Amino acid sequence: MIAKMTDLSDVRRPIDKANGLPNAHYTDETVFAEEGQALLARQWAGLAVAAEVPEVGDAKPISFLGMPLLLLRDRAGQVRVFQNICRHRGMILVSEPHRIEGAIRCPYHSWCYGTDGRLVSTPHVGGPGQNTHEGIDKSTLGLVEVRNHVWRDVVWINISGDAAPFEEVHADLIARWAEFDQPLYHGGMDSAFDLEVHCNWKLAVENYCESYHLPWVHPGLNSYSRLEDHYHIEAPDRFSGQGTRVYRQFTSADGGRFPDFDGLSEAWDTAAEYISVFPNVLLGVHRDHAFAILLQPAATDRTVEQVHLYYATPETDADLRAANAALWKTVFEEDIFVVEGMQAGRRAPGFDGGRFSPAMDGPTHLFHDWVAARIEAHRGTAQAAE
Amino acid sequence: MSDLESRLLAAHACGDRAALVTLYSAAAEDAAEDEARYFYLTQAYVYALEDGHPQAPALRARLVAAGRESA
Repeated sequence: MIAKMTDLSDVRRPIDKANGLPNAHYTDETVFAEEGQALLARQWAGLAVAAEVPEVGDAKPISFLGMPLLLLRDRAGQVRVFQNICRHRGMILVSEPHRIEGAIRCPYHSWCYGTDGRLVSTPHVGGPGQNTHEGIDKSTLGLVEVRNHVWRDVVWINISGDAAPFEEVHADLIARWAEFDQPLYHGGMDSAFDLEVHCNWKLAVENYCESYHLPWVHPGLNSYSRLEDHYHIEAPDRFSGQGTRVYRQFTSADGGRFPDFDGLSEAWDTAAEYISVFPNVLLGVHRDHAFAILLQPAATDRTVEQVHLYYATPETDADLRAANAALWKTVFEEDIFVVEGMQAGRRAPGFDGGRFSPAMDGPTHLFHDWVAARIEAHRGTAQAAE
Repeated sequence: MSDLESRLLAAHACGDRAALVTLYSAAAEDAAEDEARYFYLTQAYVYALEDGHPQAPALRARLVAAGRESA
């Protein structure tokens, strides 16, 4: 079934002639569902961070695009993602985050699964006290696993199961940030927060990847990080973002700082980069901390931004950590009126998607072009299947 | 209601899996017929499995030996 068609030809033009995505891509339920498949299910989308299940047996139910999923850390310490339903009657298995001590027991008829997804017991399936039946082959009835990959502590999932391997899709970004390929330590409870925003998830991506708005929306940054200190990051078909050449370490009133990541080259003394990894993960790296923002699309006009801050060492100063989290929260909150204002603007009939600054909106146009290309490919596949 | 039944209901009510393992095991020992015995043993085994209880392997072994669980 092909969703209501939108004309994306203007989006795919060169930036100086292109328009942004049509209104329907921010307001229409059918297009939202189509994008769920084309832009999220068929790509490597961010679901969670591994730090949400720090210990063996930790399990957390997560709804993603309406799908009930279960994030857990198995007995071998590996992060796994399964459909959170029993293979018997489709009952939700885990309804609250908790630690699995032994097996996952379905609360309905008590079919039991290992943390590796194996179906290990089917009590009374052959009648009272008889736990086998020739019609029930346990080896074929394990939990349905969702393909996943952990990078920079983000748990990326490919729901369709047929995307190219993560390391292949994001080889250039992995190489770009190879110096940061070292242990990341989540700052803990005081370094994670959610922001619920009334906008389509794509507007958060678009706002994050460009620096054009910084002097107007984040005037506090102007004193040391002026627009001309920023540069575009543009990797067509993969990611886009912005970098700064004048990053200054966060410093407390008494001069305290976070430890740096090991062995960074000199360029990172004052550089920092902020990249939108398509579709829905926003990453930032600095010499002394990093962050990941996962955008969870809740509705056409509602997104939950899940923010996680990381450091180079397991122990850091709690006050410094709290102050850094508060600083970033202020910055991200400054963006809310913008993304919500653009969402409201998408209700203007006949809005043509807007025109881009050829000089300043490259990263945003690059994302729109990625969206349009993925939707066109998805529509092509759907048409071929009909 | 027997004392065992009362204690089982109480254990269910508060989700005390270790107690459920003990009490269903006791019910199995008291059962007069195989069907009831293996019903209770299965109950004990499932809660042991969920709990990561040390008795889980032994309970499983009894069920397997009786042809009530796959090896």
